[in-house]
Amino acid sequence: MGRWYDSVDNKSSNIVYSRIRLARNWDEYTFPSRMTREQCGEMLERMKDGLKDLGSLDGKEYRYGQLDEMQDLEKLALRERRILNLSAVNKKEPAGLFLSEDEGSSLVLGGDDHIRMQFLASGLKLDELWHQADVMDDYVNERFSYAFDEKYGYLTSFPTNVGTGLRACVVLHLPTLSQVRKFQSIVGDMSRFGTAIRGLYGEGSDNYGSLYEISNQRTLGQSEREIVELVTKAAAQLNNQEMRVRNATLNTQRLEREDEAYKSYGVLKYARKISEKDARIFISQLMAGEEDGLMKLDKKYSLYSLIIGIKPANLNLWAKRPLDKDEMDAVRAAYLRQNLPEIADK
Amino acid sequence: MLCERCKIREANIKYTEIINGIKTEHNLCSHCAREMDFGQYAAILDGEFPLGKLLSGLLGLEDDEEETDVRGKVVCPTCGTSFDDFVENSRFGCPDCYGVFDLFINDKMKQLQGSESHKGKHPKFRSTFEKEHPDVSRAKGEDGQEAPDIPEAKQPGDGTRSAAVNKQIRELESRLKDAIEQEEYELAAQCRDQIRELKKEA
Repeated sequence: MGRWYDSVDNKSSNIVYSRIRLARNWDEYTFPSRMTREQCGEMLERMKDGLKDLGSLDGKEYRYGQLDEMQDLEKLALRERRILNLSAVNKKEPAGLFLSEDEGSSLVLGGDDHIRMQFLASGLKLDELWHQADVMDDYVNERFSYAFDEKYGYLTSFPTNVGTGLRACVVLHLPTLSQVRKFQSIVGDMSRFGTAIRGLYGEGSDNYGSLYEISNQRTLGQSEREIVELVTKAAAQLNNQEMRVRNATLNTQRLEREDEAYKSYGVLKYARKISEKDARIFISQLMAGEEDGLMKLDKKYSLYSLIIGIKPANLNLWAKRPLDKDEMDAVRAAYLRQNLPEIADK
Repeated sequence: MLCERCKIREANIKYTEIINGIKTEHNLCSHCAREMDFGQYAAILDGEFPLGKLLSGLLGLEDDEEETDVRGKVVCPTCGTSFDDFVENSRFGCPDCYGVFDLFINDKMKQLQGSESHKGKHPKFRSTFEKEHPDVSRAKGEDGQEAPDIPEAKQPGDGTRSAAVNKQIRELESRLKDAIEQEEYELAAQCRDQIRELKKEA
């Protein structure tokens, strides 16, 4: 069975994927940072047992793994696929992970908070994902009572998550909009509406590949529905703006754009060595070209899955052996040659 | 762009110098930048500058040292997190910390989150303990709500209370706020209890 990011959302490939995260805590324990090793272990056992039929809820198959027993490489690869955050990767005390087969739903147990539920899907799907999260939340709550306060809502380790514990994110591909001089002021305007935009792989011009993530800034004082609606609207708005500037380039620089897309394809398909930075830039240009109908690949293919595939830890797993820095670029080129679809005849 | 000093690494620090009106720009990598003398800004490059702790600064207290001293030593009895720990790590130790530090963090929370009260989903299932001991749980619930209610916040029960009681509550709430500002915590606690009492009666 494929992973969630292998599927392509037909509506718009500028909106790459959506993500919902819920932070919850069990009221019988202190927060993980204040728990002893023994408490962590005990809590994990109880939770693992209580959640063993998780699959009966959504019909997905879940596997369970203990983070402190996993290889570092495996954890880093999970981080690149956004299943784990940095503090879960670095955690020394016992922590667990329930992960669905398609990796679209996951529960991290004993990370920053006792429970971190996460749901991922291609395209703009915050509504659907929130529904999934809501159902899963009740299921977990039935087994483990939550730390909840009438005033502050769901209590979390960090004051930045308290209230709904909800972070709703949308990742967008904004190759042209991010080049526009007004982009910084758009980012500023967005924050006035309570949303934040950041580069998925770094800030400013370091964010090669132009993937941006927009999410809600606040978790307290807005209902879950309001947050989901806010981020959905903001993402749609950004997508519209991107399409508008892109269409302008299609009118004035069609040949240049077409050339760029084909050249990018050529490098990705035939290079013998390629750095992650270069690969991300070319994939981005290819994505833009395909989205705008300047070129056609012979099968509908999620170019985002390439971006994950060429990251160091996942590349190591793909090669099934440890790679040094020089080898990495060669293996990356090989990975791209194998996975990039052919160009379809026009 | 490559670093102008070593010409090997990518430059990631742009340093603009204006001396006697003459502007010069340097593009350096962080490695070379660290070896140069930037005076007071050197700490940023050494990674000592606690950028990540900016949030702590906001959550923490004003520069008044005496005040910081007193508040910093308040400790959550459940998990042993002191207010200093909280300011340092921007992180609570357990659910009870919210109640214990509520008096200190209420305003900061509003700055951080733009709100101080939860709107949205409530847990469908109460704790097993509460289900088994409904009377205890009610008492516990009140206790758990260590938080004094906030002056500006509209209480949902306002409509059912008499105007006189509401007025009294509002007065107490403003006294509570003053008391916190004056660091008279004993008085603050009294006000808080009186408010709670009045609300219960109403």
